[in-house]
Amino acid sequence: MEQKPLPLAGGEEAEYLLALKQDFRGVMKNLPFFIKPAAAQRDVQRYSDKYHSSEQTNSLTDWNLDWRRFPRELQVHIRRRVREGLAFSTMDSSVPVQKKKKKKEEEEVLLKLETLEKKEEHEQSSEEEEGGVKKKPEEEEGAEAEEEYDEEELEEETDYIMSYFDNGEEFGGDSDDNMDEAIY
Amino acid sequence: MTAQEVRLCGLLLQEHFGEVVEKVGRNLLKSGTQNLRAIVHETGLSVDLVKKSLCVLVQHGACSFIQGRKGPGSPTEYKAHCDRVLRILRYPRYIYTAKTLYGDTGELIIEELLQRGHMTMSNTVKTVADRLTQSMDEGSSMDYGEVSATFSKLVETHFLQRCPPAAGAGTTGSSQTANSTSAAPASSTAPTPESFPDCYRVPQVTLIGRSKRSLASEEGEDQRNAKKAKMDPETHGDEGIYWQVNFERFHQHFRDQTIISAVANKLDQTSSEIVRTMLRMSEVTTSSTAPCTKPLSANEIFRSLPATYNIPRHILDQYLTLLVDDPMEFVGKAGESGGGMYIVNLNQALANLARATLESIVQERFGSRSARIFRLLLRKRHLEQKQVEDFAMIPAKEAKDMLYTLLSQNLVQLQEIPKTPDFAPSRTFYLYTVNQLPTARLLLQNCYKTVANLMERRLFEAKESKRLLEKSQRIEAILASLQASGAEPEQLTEVEEMITAPEKQQLDSLRLHVNKLDSAENQVDETIFLLESYISSSTKPTS
Repeated sequence: MEQKPLPLAGGEEAEYLLALKQDFRGVMKNLPFFIKPAAAQRDVQRYSDKYHSSEQTNSLTDWNLDWRRFPRELQVHIRRRVREGLAFSTMDSSVPVQKKKKKKEEEEVLLKLETLEKKEEHEQSSEEEEGGVKKKPEEEEGAEAEEEYDEEELEEETDYIMSYFDNGEEFGGDSDDNMDEAIY
Repeated sequence: MTAQEVRLCGLLLQEHFGEVVEKVGRNLLKSGTQNLRAIVHETGLSVDLVKKSLCVLVQHGACSFIQGRKGPGSPTEYKAHCDRVLRILRYPRYIYTAKTLYGDTGELIIEELLQRGHMTMSNTVKTVADRLTQSMDEGSSMDYGEVSATFSKLVETHFLQRCPPAAGAGTTGSSQTANSTSAAPASSTAPTPESFPDCYRVPQVTLIGRSKRSLASEEGEDQRNAKKAKMDPETHGDEGIYWQVNFERFHQHFRDQTIISAVANKLDQTSSEIVRTMLRMSEVTTSSTAPCTKPLSANEIFRSLPATYNIPRHILDQYLTLLVDDPMEFVGKAGESGGGMYIVNLNQALANLARATLESIVQERFGSRSARIFRLLLRKRHLEQKQVEDFAMIPAKEAKDMLYTLLSQNLVQLQEIPKTPDFAPSRTFYLYTVNQLPTARLLLQNCYKTVANLMERRLFEAKESKRLLEKSQRIEAILASLQASGAEPEQLTEVEEMITAPEKQQLDSLRLHVNKLDSAENQVDETIFLLESYISSSTKPTS
């Protein structure tokens, strides 16, 4: 290049603007507006995947949309696979979900047993197509989990806390490049 | 929507809203108006993800929807707004301006609204008060009334405006346009926020009290409070009234600031104060698209000068005469009544500032002699090769070389004027010329490309050192938790030593690079603002 560019303008204002910009980006990443794509399918089906799926679907639950300003068709419907007919429950957050929770809990337990039964049959019959089918029950499970309140211990009715399902893959991840040393 | 703009919008959406929204946004920008099915089909994403992304885009005003365009029963169509997405580059500047004008409270209000797209007044006030309380000392908390007062001030000066009621989202909006029939919910043109008379009216909000400081030590109570907050459907009398940031007003403010600082640089502080006074007086009387301010008499200006500048009347007149005679033509004289009527030529000022920017760009890229040729051509319009050499006082060979370089970069155009019907080269005039408006457009596209390149480079650098960044973040988190629980200094140093010295160096240099790239983006955005303002002011239809 023949001509070198001028140096950047420094000074207090520029630094403050820089700090504002980086803060803004950081905050946006944690807001419900940041939509993460579905996690990539790993090579082998793991037991803990069933329990990890509920973590991802937090994006629109804590954002109270005023549906009067949005077109109706953008509402995400959660379908529950009941044997007789289809019961739709919308994610319409303007309706206070908490009040109906207690009434629904008993129903939910029964429905859950039915859906799990159905799912078992479904998964046995189509074991080859892991990718396509796994996504659907995962998404539904994740969607169902949204309606329950998020206390760690009671999610998915396990007796274990979520960290029980860590498969230890994240442990020891830093020392990837020192492969010549033995790992004890 | 040029390719560069789409690329830049894609990068901005990716950084702020994630890859899913980026895909949907890009698709909408490239294909224009589309309905939901078409978007799902083209992006290949799941329907739920597309729905969520569209909600996010509509929330932030980057996308608008029209229902029933081809008659009742036709699907809803979505349209993305490129210029709205490009505003994201300017967010830090908006927040900083609010801080200088209205202090920390104003800064936080604008920041919250920019983060969330649009919000009700009561929500904003509560959130901002909570944030302010967090940073205040123990025992004191922020009063809602103060924050509401700042909010009202922002609305009065038009920095905030109400969102227009959603067109055809289920309820029919108020029929403000004269040609809307009672049956059709959709109007042919989307109403601007300013077409509603209540645009700047602060609603009656019952919001009394102080914000609660959330105590980190009482975890149990905190969880219960958090749950209660979600279930608590307090209404404050302003449901359904959403506010958004009025970007046009901020742009007006930036434009005024630029003019004032240009006058200060060219003349002196006092003249810039006079121009500032004139602009302040015309803030509410001049619309944002007017070519010049309403005429102000010298008497009015004299009365409105700030108290610190007590210059005598005849000095003021001399200053005004100087400003009018200045070749930059910032201030013009519109009459003699009232001691002289003066206006600020906004369009002219923008054109001059844009021209100065173009000249400086040519100077920095091609050298001062090329810049001399460029300036010459701007002033003299059409010149032949020989005339260029003579006027610019540059030897023929070098002048030819520089002209051809500028020509190859499209900054200079060649105009052929034939003497005979066949364009025989020996009998044709070849004139060099520079057109300011097309050149400004070209350089604006270059700016977009520059910012997109800067962002990509920054993302690349961060990706290269991702492992290192994650490690340092983990260690910082460990350090913070150790310090909070009161650990000995030996433990702290032990944790700090987990990062080796060369890694620390690498981290420092990475941080330096990322900061430089970010800072450069901010600076390029200033040029973008100037060129955009100039282009939009000169392409407006003059009524």
